[in-house]
Amino acid sequence: MSLPLTDLALILLAALVFILGSGVWIAVAIGIVGYIAMMLTTSVPVGAVLATTVWSSSASWALAALPLFIWMGEILFRTRLSEEMFRGLSPWLQWLPGRLVHVNVVGCGIFAAVSGSSAATCATIGKIALPELEKRGYDPGLSLGSLAGSGTLGLLIPPSIPMVVYAVTANVSVLQVFLAGFLPGVLVMVLYSGYIIGWSLLNPSKVPPRDPPMPFKEKLRQSTKLIPCLTLILAVFLALVFGFATATECAAWGVSGALILAWWSGTLTRKTFFESVMSATRLTCMIMFILAGAAFATAAMAYTGIPAALAEWVKGQNLTPSMLALYLSIMYIILGCLIDGISMIVLTAVVVLPMVQQAGLDLIWFGIYLILHVEMAQITPPVGFNLFVLQNMSGKDTMTVARAAFPFFILLLAAVFIITEFPQIALVLPQMAFPPR
Amino acid sequence: QTKWNLPAAYPADNPHSVNLTMFAKDVAAATGNKLEITVHPGASLFKAPDIKRAVQTGQAQVGEVLISIHENEDPVFGIDVVPFLATSFSDAKKLWAASKPAVEKKLASQGLMVLFAVPWAPQGIYTKKDLNTVEDMKGLKWRAYNVGTARIGELVGAQSVTVQAAELPQALATGVVNSFMSSGGTGYDSKVWETLTNFYDVQAWLPKDITFVNKAAFDALDKPTQEAVLKAAATAEDRGWKMWEEKTNWYLDQLKAKGMKVAPPSDALKAGLKKLGEQLTADWKKKAGADGEAIIAAYEKK
Amino acid sequence: MRIALDRLYLWSGYAAGFFMVAIFAIMMVMSLGREFDINIPAGDDFASWCMAAMAFLGLAHTFKKGEMIRVGLVVEKVTGKKRWAVEVLALGISTVFTLYFAWFACRMTYDSFRFHDMSTGVISVPLWIPQLGYAAGLVILSIALLDEIVHVLRGNKPSYEKEPPTTPDEFVERVASGGAG
Ligand code: NA
Ligand code: NA
Repeated sequence: MSLPLTDLALILLAALVFILGSGVWIAVAIGIVGYIAMMLTTSVPVGAVLATTVWSSSASWALAALPLFIWMGEILFRTRLSEEMFRGLSPWLQWLPGRLVHVNVVGCGIFAAVSGSSAATCATIGKIALPELEKRGYDPGLSLGSLAGSGTLGLLIPPSIPMVVYAVTANVSVLQVFLAGFLPGVLVMVLYSGYIIGWSLLNPSKVPPRDPPMPFKEKLRQSTKLIPCLTLILAVFLALVFGFATATECAAWGVSGALILAWWSGTLTRKTFFESVMSATRLTCMIMFILAGAAFATAAMAYTGIPAALAEWVKGQNLTPSMLALYLSIMYIILGCLIDGISMIVLTAVVVLPMVQQAGLDLIWFGIYLILHVEMAQITPPVGFNLFVLQNMSGKDTMTVARAAFPFFILLLAAVFIITEFPQIALVLPQMAFPPR
Repeated sequence: QTKWNLPAAYPADNPHSVNLTMFAKDVAAATGNKLEITVHPGASLFKAPDIKRAVQTGQAQVGEVLISIHENEDPVFGIDVVPFLATSFSDAKKLWAASKPAVEKKLASQGLMVLFAVPWAPQGIYTKKDLNTVEDMKGLKWRAYNVGTARIGELVGAQSVTVQAAELPQALATGVVNSFMSSGGTGYDSKVWETLTNFYDVQAWLPKDITFVNKAAFDALDKPTQEAVLKAAATAEDRGWKMWEEKTNWYLDQLKAKGMKVAPPSDALKAGLKKLGEQLTADWKKKAGADGEAIIAAYEKK
Repeated sequence: MRIALDRLYLWSGYAAGFFMVAIFAIMMVMSLGREFDINIPAGDDFASWCMAAMAFLGLAHTFKKGEMIRVGLVVEKVTGKKRWAVEVLALGISTVFTLYFAWFACRMTYDSFRFHDMSTGVISVPLWIPQLGYAAGLVILSIALLDEIVHVLRGNKPSYEKEPPTTPDEFVERVASGGAG
């Protein structure tokens, strides 16, 4: 009955790999591993634990923000927001070396502030930016790569679906993780733009000439197209700051704002409304089912004592926090090649979080660290959502897109190093809003 | 060797969790590790509302929960949150003695056996403005999180606001809420002095955490082990009460040190609250029926 | 029969959508209501219950639409008879687990009814009522899985498998509104 924990851990890992590999839906696979873990270690009624833990993790106020953030994105996706973003931004970025390629970075950065997903950000901005850039003769590698990389900002700049998932699994405040994402998001944008500038200075022949100059007035007129989107971002933020809404209720304000925007731009019809509701519902259900599996697996693991033992082990190793971060980085980059971001978070949270806490790393900071790895996972082959998006939009194969995105993968890695060295970049905003106890 | 799991809702460094860990150690020592209890603090195994059911259905063998969260199920679980009924540690102890048989009986009917009960610190009122009478509470944005606090809000004419505990610090900071009722410890933990200025130590009630065991799991132990558990439980109860009595003043001193105005209620406020209390006690008696009547009578006799 | 089942999945999906809109409505009323002294007592509880109902009632619909994710690395490599065997295995494992899950969710709901479990907030609600959506959602998912396994055993293509998109626009739409990435 009493199996050594290392054997147990290996059995469970093998079972997970086998079940996932056989094409079983992720939520079910995680649930089955939890079941096996409990069968091997305890005599408590497993089915009852399954039903109880899943119910209590699903009937959650904090989680109720998730479908709303998703819905907001779905509504905005059905508006002409991306087109307007391109037109509004391009006159202002002409002077930078690299010119309109920066629209990818800035456009994704702004859109990221209203969308919670990377693929959606990449697809929405890409839909308009790719053809425009191609038409003007920009280097396809640079435009594809920067788009793949910038799309991942959707995850780092709040709101963010994986951040909600992380906050719920790690039992930390969603709002704090959101706040922590802001400055690292800006950091990543600066790194991206910096790279584009550097590349363009080194390859001046590959950068097409400026668009014909536009009178200042015309520039301003074009920029008014950015106003609705910026207003939405601002409104949600102000609702929070002025006490109209709690952190969770912000999501509802976002939906209201998105509905108003869609109505105002004339894209809100009964059909688009209905479609947005149903597709947000399906996406939420998919994620919730995985979270359900993860909630049960977490409880199952608590019964086995594996996470506690691992935490003890980390304590015994005297690993420095940065050493632990390095090891975890390697693991997450490998995992990220193979599975999607949300699975990556929930599959590892159970065992990684206690270790992280034991090593003295801040859970909010770790959330950002983890999200950066999830971002990398979007652009590493063979499984990377942004690669798939761009593969289809550009007609190039996955490897070509992946190669184009590689510099941006390295830049994300650089961002991980920077926030590991200077954790304050992530922590300063949440600590300002929620002073540490 | 027998292994038990003990789910608990509060963080590992909360006095309740600390006490539970010591209880588990005592049991292990007294039984020569024959009974090993693993404490799962911070709702890491089950969340607070599920702990009772988990122990009831054998998903865990022991559990600790703030018993008043189950007051909707049976008013007897809510006796320790009837406002202004028992307002000091010694009164709370008396009230526990008077209500213990009824609570035990109710839990026994669910297959649970009470091991021990430990109170929290007395509840006071946090506000931004001075309260001299209950009329001053009118119009406050008042956090209502259970029947008692909702009723108080209603009776004093405050605006009841629903905010989850986890969102409380942010809600205070942005003014979603500007007053609430809790113990000195909660205010200290959430750095309440950054947003509110006053703490009125009205000692409205002392809620209790009850630690209970699944009766079948307990009966499956041999006699000496059972006795060891009961002995450790008695020790834990004494220790818990003492911990909180000491901790209460420490918390209040901390609030003062941070510049909060910590004060007992004025006579007028006290009188107003007392009247409220009578009303709410009557409410509770009506809900709890004859059993409730008997508990209150037994409590008031002492 | 076919029509009735498909309707069951679709309408429970609509119900899930309804609960999402309900969460939105509750939160907006809670938030705006504070400005006008309107409070939804236990609004947080009601939103949480809508969340659970939504998450589970929509499962069958999500599954049938092929939006439940899995690791396709191996599955997508094999074809023909082998592919069929893998699909049957995956469906079989998932069906057994989901039936088990659904059974215990129903039992938990029944226990709540039997034990008179009540919500812990300001409003006292028997817990079995909100738990109904949870249990029903899992039962419907079980039915959908059983339905699917029969469908595949008869030699049909799994219905969760989508036709590859024909135009880039269609693809973008699909990824943008379907991918969690
Ligand atoms: Na975002
Ligand atoms: Na990848």
